[in-house]
Amino acid sequence: MTNGFRIAIGTDPGEVARVNAAFAKFADAHALPAPVRRSLHVALDELLTNTLGHGFAGGRGAVTVEVELRPDVVYVTVTDDGKPFDPFGLAAPVPDTALPLAERPVGGLGLHLVREMMDEVSYRRRGDRNVVTLAKRFAAEGGGGQ
Amino acid sequence: MNITTRAQQGVTLVAIAGKLDSNTSPEAQRALDAILGGGGRRIVVDFTALDYISSAGLRVLLGAAKRLSGTGSALRLFGLNDTVREVFEISGFSKILAVFPTEADALAGL
Repeated sequence: MTNGFRIAIGTDPGEVARVNAAFAKFADAHALPAPVRRSLHVALDELLTNTLGHGFAGGRGAVTVEVELRPDVVYVTVTDDGKPFDPFGLAAPVPDTALPLAERPVGGLGLHLVREMMDEVSYRRRGDRNVVTLAKRFAAEGGGGQ
Repeated sequence: MNITTRAQQGVTLVAIAGKLDSNTSPEAQRALDAILGGGGRRIVVDFTALDYISSAGLRVLLGAAKRLSGTGSALRLFGLNDTVREVFEISGFSKILAVFPTEADALAGL
């Protein structure tokens, strides 16, 4: 048995909070380093908010989140049966983060944060499902928070 | 998330503790709206006890900053941990919002 958990959720935006709670419990149980835990919290919030907000157009669907801890790395896999969408592909816009305050659009940053904060991101379409995987490594050198 | 607000010498200090994400950002939005609606024009946000922030939280800060961009108004932040700082760097928010190391720095000259 691996160290991790799997949770199936619905497509209501409030379901993100359930994943958040499950991940917090997992992080506590395995004493994940704070920077790893926090980065994954952010990535899960962004990815799931995007998936639930855009993938189902208000309809029903199935979303599964799997988290696995291996030595010095946490893997996250999010599978959903919503419409095909590669969150890291060309259709996902990269926001202009250099715009001044007054011109800043409200939004568009979430998936950019996921790309930048994770060590690996990938997407594949498997049958009628989107499969997104993330990897966050424990920093070997410095750079950690408290 | 837990929000505590106190006013001192014309400045409203807002301490946001815990998680500022898609689940909690509506509450943070309401708290900031209440301050702005009550005429608060100089707001200092204390992130010392903030665990992490996602784009939903950034959106709330951006909205408040836009409303406070006039003369005599200010939105300042302090106490960012490494993860919050990283989110600010990646998103470019560290360039468009006024971030200070400590409360004293944030209050100085306000």
